[in-house]
Amino acid sequence: MKPAIKVSQLNLFYGDNQALKNINLSIPEKSVTALIGPSGCGKSTFLRTLNRMNDLIPSCRVDGTIEYRNLNINDKKTDVIEVRKNIGMVFQKPNPFPMSIYENVAFGPRCQGINNARKLKDIVTKALKDAALYNEVKDRLQKSALELSGGQQQRLCIARALAMNPDVLLMDEPTSALDPIATAKIEELIVELKKNYTIVIVTHSMQQAARISDQTAFFLLGDLIEVEETRTFFATPKDPRSESYITGRFG
Amino acid sequence: MLKFNRRHWQRFKDGVLQFFTFTLSSVTLVTLSAIVIFVFQTGAPLLNLDLFNYDYTSNTYISEPILVNGEVELCNCAPTRLLDEGVNYSEKWGVGLSDDEDVLGKPVVIIDYIHQNSPLVTLKNKGFGPETFRLLDEFYIRRIAFFDQPSALDIFGSQFMIDMLDANDTFRELEVITKGGGIRGSVITTLWLILLTLIMALPIGIAAAIYLNEYVSKNSVIARYLRQFIELLTGVPSIIYGLMGLAFFAPFIANITEATGPSILSGAMTLAVIVLPLIIRTTEESLKVVPNEYRQAAFALGASKTQTVFKTIIPSALPGILSATLLSIGRIVGESAALIFAIGVIIKDEISIFGQSTSLAVHIYAMMTDEPANIELSATISLIILAIVLFLNIFIKLLTRRMINKRLPGGMI
Repeated sequence: MKPAIKVSQLNLFYGDNQALKNINLSIPEKSVTALIGPSGCGKSTFLRTLNRMNDLIPSCRVDGTIEYRNLNINDKKTDVIEVRKNIGMVFQKPNPFPMSIYENVAFGPRCQGINNARKLKDIVTKALKDAALYNEVKDRLQKSALELSGGQQQRLCIARALAMNPDVLLMDEPTSALDPIATAKIEELIVELKKNYTIVIVTHSMQQAARISDQTAFFLLGDLIEVEETRTFFATPKDPRSESYITGRFG
Repeated sequence: MLKFNRRHWQRFKDGVLQFFTFTLSSVTLVTLSAIVIFVFQTGAPLLNLDLFNYDYTSNTYISEPILVNGEVELCNCAPTRLLDEGVNYSEKWGVGLSDDEDVLGKPVVIIDYIHQNSPLVTLKNKGFGPETFRLLDEFYIRRIAFFDQPSALDIFGSQFMIDMLDANDTFRELEVITKGGGIRGSVITTLWLILLTLIMALPIGIAAAIYLNEYVSKNSVIARYLRQFIELLTGVPSIIYGLMGLAFFAPFIANITEATGPSILSGAMTLAVIVLPLIIRTTEESLKVVPNEYRQAAFALGASKTQTVFKTIIPSALPGILSATLLSIGRIVGESAALIFAIGVIIKDEISIFGQSTSLAVHIYAMMTDEPANIELSATISLIILAIVLFLNIFIKLLTRRMINKRLPGGMI
């Protein structure tokens, strides 16, 4: 499968502290890649380098190349806004803005200068439908987004990212703040979305990785230990460290 | 035995400490209530809406009636309220007069009641000043001169004046003394000051707060020194700001406008400097509590720094910015020391932003340094200022509580 993003020789430092060590990983197009590993292993940090969110941390320094559409994302000359337009992100905690549901979804397109009311409405409707939220909120688009339940808020955040029409979607433990039913809905949605989008998901739950991902990458203390097709990874892990993590001996 | 004694001693010490803290806090409470009660007792009797209507200086107007087709449009109307005893009423002219004495014990005729349709409500001014003026309750009528008849002077009493009015269909001249002591000019000045100060201070203050909180990195030397400097500014006595206003802003304004000395504009500039630290600090506090998640979400959606600040952060910080505004208004209304220098202490009725006049607080200062000091009216104005400050405080509390309630539920933070 054609890679959507190809990461090579990636090193990341927080001040003097190296958080990612020589990562090489290619993320196949229109599939789900799961990043797993114990807390503090660098999987979220890695995810955030993919859309340059680490720029917000002053002490953070990244070396290496992240190839995306013949473009090196990690190059300082690369337009960050262009990158983030194409690579959307969903966070761990649902974080809708304190505005109406409609305005939340329209936020990204508005920032791109789309102000035509009809065009915006089409974008918002499509994004909400794609995020499987439209039927639940279509009668109260002008109500505050904070009135939604946690699971609905998270799907709204997904819709908000989809409204930018990205081709990659980064998800940082999107279900860790949700109950099992809301989690199931989001997982269903992810499987649906992978038909059209490349998805990279950080997760703490190995069951989740096994259920929804096509490729699994296992991180440990800043090293990428093993990347493998998900079924193979869980059935026959090559590295002994992967095996002990999967079988629950640490983590 | 020893143990028992020590416990007693502990209890005794606790009791003494409790007694002292209780007494001292009572002293604070008693002092505060004493001030408020004093202001109320002295000021409340003079408090009425007319205070906002009257000029400060009392004027003498010589006037004649406004004629329609060469005739006075007479009223012929009954009074709409019950008149006190001793009030002489003329149905023909729709005016009720009564006898009184002024502060020097001279007999005067006071307008006790005037009907809204009375031809005397609006009169033509024969002297300097505005072309027409309105006759209000409590003005003194000095004399009314008629054609081919003796004039009705105030020393003859109100009964004679009413009789003469009833006997005539028109008059030649009416001399009236307006009631002074009003605070209309100072109220207008205060409103001007609030408006001009906020126009100058709010954009600068909010921009500075945004710069300090959003653009400059937390550990930068500039930001640290700037913050310290702003802290310092809050502690400077306001009279020093007033001095700066007089030495710097007043000549500056006088140079570029028609102003000849201290003016409302230079006062507003001085006040802007005074409220600036307040606005910066309050706004910054409210920016600090905007959840970082909003910034991240906006950035992740491809928003630029400017878009993030203006579309997500400022709207979320709006309650704080609003309370900064209201706090500033409270400060502007209450400030006196700086304004004594920066806009002067001359109480005016005709307000120009290029001229000297007094705010409500300085109005008090001006009257108390006058000879004789007018304690009653000062207390009344104090009462008004206290009411404004109290109202603003309650309003801020309600507003922020409401906004916080509206924003917090729903899993955020």
